[in-house]
Amino acid sequence: MPDDELNMRRIARDLRASSPRVDKSFDDRVMAAVRSLPRHARLTLWSRLTAPRTVTVKPLGWSVLAASVALLAIFGFNRAVDDVRVASKPIVAAVFPKTGAAAVKPPQRVQFVLVAPEAKKVAVVGDFNGWDAGHASYQAQHRGGGVWSVTAPVPIGHHRYSFVVDDSVWVTDPMAPRVMDNDYGVANSAIVVEEQK
Amino acid sequence: MEGSSDGVIVSRVLRGDVDAYRVLVERYRDRYARYAFHMLGNREDAEEALQDAFTRAYRSLARCEDPERFGAWLFRILVNRCRTLGARRGRRAKTFVVDEGAILDAAEDHPADRAAWREEIDRALHRLRADQREAFLLKYVEDMGYDEMSQLTGVGVSALKMRVMRACDRLRELLSEVHSA
Repeated sequence: MPDDELNMRRIARDLRASSPRVDKSFDDRVMAAVRSLPRHARLTLWSRLTAPRTVTVKPLGWSVLAASVALLAIFGFNRAVDDVRVASKPIVAAVFPKTGAAAVKPPQRVQFVLVAPEAKKVAVVGDFNGWDAGHASYQAQHRGGGVWSVTAPVPIGHHRYSFVVDDSVWVTDPMAPRVMDNDYGVANSAIVVEEQK
Repeated sequence: MEGSSDGVIVSRVLRGDVDAYRVLVERYRDRYARYAFHMLGNREDAEEALQDAFTRAYRSLARCEDPERFGAWLFRILVNRCRTLGARRGRRAKTFVVDEGAILDAAEDHPADRAAWREEIDRALHRLRADQREAFLLKYVEDMGYDEMSQLTGVGVSALKMRVMRACDRLRELLSEVHSA
């Protein structure tokens, strides 16, 4: 081993040795913080829901798929599922009053849909609502046949989002492209909201 | 449960057994505290980053794609928390507190000299650019390979090699100044 390499190994050894021990109360602090968060549950539901592609391709899923397609038709929702999902047809014209001539462009109404037959509750979280699963405007309603949807305001631009099922299970949108979240090394869904012409 | 694999414990937590998470905290806190401490330069910031990482990991546990590698996933979160916290507090004066109780006895030197030398290493480490310090710690202190480092940081292998090389050169320079002083 070259001298330089050896020296660096020695420095590394000394750094390992000079690390402080974590305070004994650390574990309790972490556990107190963790207990203040929603408890995880229903792993089996999670396992089912984390295979979102099966919802659209399994033969058994046709009836559910048909229901969701019908629902989409009712709501007039029309989105491309190719390279980038574009929330191109906000279903309600901008309903937010403009606050001035050069005001920021108003958010657009976007419909989110998830097929989750066993869910008791579905919410949408994203960078547009602070990833808050309790945000009242983003609680999906059950439309029948396991189809959940909500139409909610999303600012114009690129966003990341996910569904939260039963307050604990995060599910990406099977109909949207997935993007990596650097903090967690897992995927969120991506959406591009455009101004209504 | 202490001897159970990460995957088994993660499953228990996901089924609602919150207390099982303590096993994972005990398993990873000391090793990861070491990284956070050397990256951030003081115990308080290191504990804050580590606690934040554990909390974020719990909140998103259902999104951990390979529960058997929970430790690696947690480490990735911690590296990002250290980056964020380090950037936010970059201008704050760093304090280098060496925990005497944690210092190993050195056979070749007097313990007091050894402690002083380690403080000098800490000082030199914190005069490196944050990206070079991160690369050096991952390579030498955490003993990771470049491919693994690349996966963890999202930085290319050749860029990481360059950072490590510059970090080593700078450390050598800073520590030789101490020696010659």
